[in-house]
Amino acid sequence: MSTKSTYEEHELVASLRKKDEEAFSYLYEHYSGALYGVIKQIVGDVELSNDVLQETFLNIWRRIESYDETKGRLFTWILNIARNAAIDKTRSRGFQQTQRQIPLDGEVIQPSVRPEIDDYGLKKLIFKLKDEQRLLIDLSYFQGYTHEQIATALHIPLGTVKTRIRSALTQLRSLMQ
Amino acid sequence: MNVKEYISSGIVESYVMGLATEAERQEFEANCAQYPEIAEARNAFELALEDQLLKDSAITPLTLKDQIHEKIRSSTFESNTTGLEEEKTPVRSIGPWRWLAVASLILLAGTLYWALTTNGKYQELQSKNTALQDSIQKVNDGITATGGSAGAGPKSDFKMASITDGPDASVSIYWDTLSKDVYLIVKNMPQPPTDKQYQLWALLPQESEAPIDLGMIELRQERLLYRMKNVQNAKAFAITLEPKGGSPTPTGQPMVSSQPVNL
Repeated sequence: MSTKSTYEEHELVASLRKKDEEAFSYLYEHYSGALYGVIKQIVGDVELSNDVLQETFLNIWRRIESYDETKGRLFTWILNIARNAAIDKTRSRGFQQTQRQIPLDGEVIQPSVRPEIDDYGLKKLIFKLKDEQRLLIDLSYFQGYTHEQIATALHIPLGTVKTRIRSALTQLRSLMQ
Repeated sequence: MNVKEYISSGIVESYVMGLATEAERQEFEANCAQYPEIAEARNAFELALEDQLLKDSAITPLTLKDQIHEKIRSSTFESNTTGLEEEKTPVRSIGPWRWLAVASLILLAGTLYWALTTNGKYQELQSKNTALQDSIQKVNDGITATGGSAGAGPKSDFKMASITDGPDASVSIYWDTLSKDVYLIVKNMPQPPTDKQYQLWALLPQESEAPIDLGMIELRQERLLYRMKNVQNAKAFAITLEPKGGSPTPTGQPMVSSQPVNL
């Protein structure tokens, strides 16, 4: 399929709302790699990541009407759809016993770098953070645990978890330049 | 409000990356509408994140794009939605009339069965029978409309058990001991944490035997009647809170039902 070479964001959104397949094709070409990276870093398994990427684009296609540009950019919206779908996948039946690496009750194991998965994107950046900050972002962003669950698992007060995650995020941002 | 302080507090990153709580999100959205600097800060971080992820992204499998295009063209995908907006349903609380309607259907079915197999009182019952069938039809239509599936006909012999846990949790279980069908009616249940789900179990007469999984309860505001997995034998039923997707054996604190009684 031939793909229009470039779209302004509002133009892309308008075309997607009209269910324009060319615009959808552009969206895929342009963003699938970025989303796929985050999905793989959450799910850790290629087959399951493919499923999640597929679900993500189907959900974008179906739910583009509910995208609200006053709340943020299109990429932010689709990234959150991808992240939620990936975290849902890790919660599905059977996944936890086989794939999940960090038991949240009891001892927390520091994640190690998985080659081909963690050496790019946000994961690459968070390995530049201090151990504690990396762990907090890993648990909250990549594993989807709530602040409450993290507070319980790490025996840290909830308010402290929140402020430490926020400071880890601002630190992460400073690494993005 | 000190806008600078607010912007540098980490709320911008937390909001954009989907880590803010519902209350924080609402507050942030209101603040963005009120203070252009906050909206600008959000936009700047969104662009930084987008650039970061776009310049250092993964390679997607070649065949995937065509598969996705095929799916968006096929009409079937409409039905198997995995809606995000369905995830955050509020605590359910249902007016009593709907559950009464279903309960009366089941009760009527039981009565009808008894009536048909009893020789005496035939005349008196015949006129009632017609009226009952009408009401069953009406209730059945209602249930079909709400998406449930109560195949309760005359060939059923229901037992009922209740599970209550304080004022917030109340569930009735109807078990057809002939067809072995199990239905669950939620009167009131607190919404579980997003990573958890309620799971129904049948407890067997021999305590040494492991409880049997009767399926997950997908709490939805508009849903009242749930058809669970069939079970041959049960001394009681229990509900536990389990990780999403369920567990092979119960791990959560069980809410155990009363002993099933005949209707």
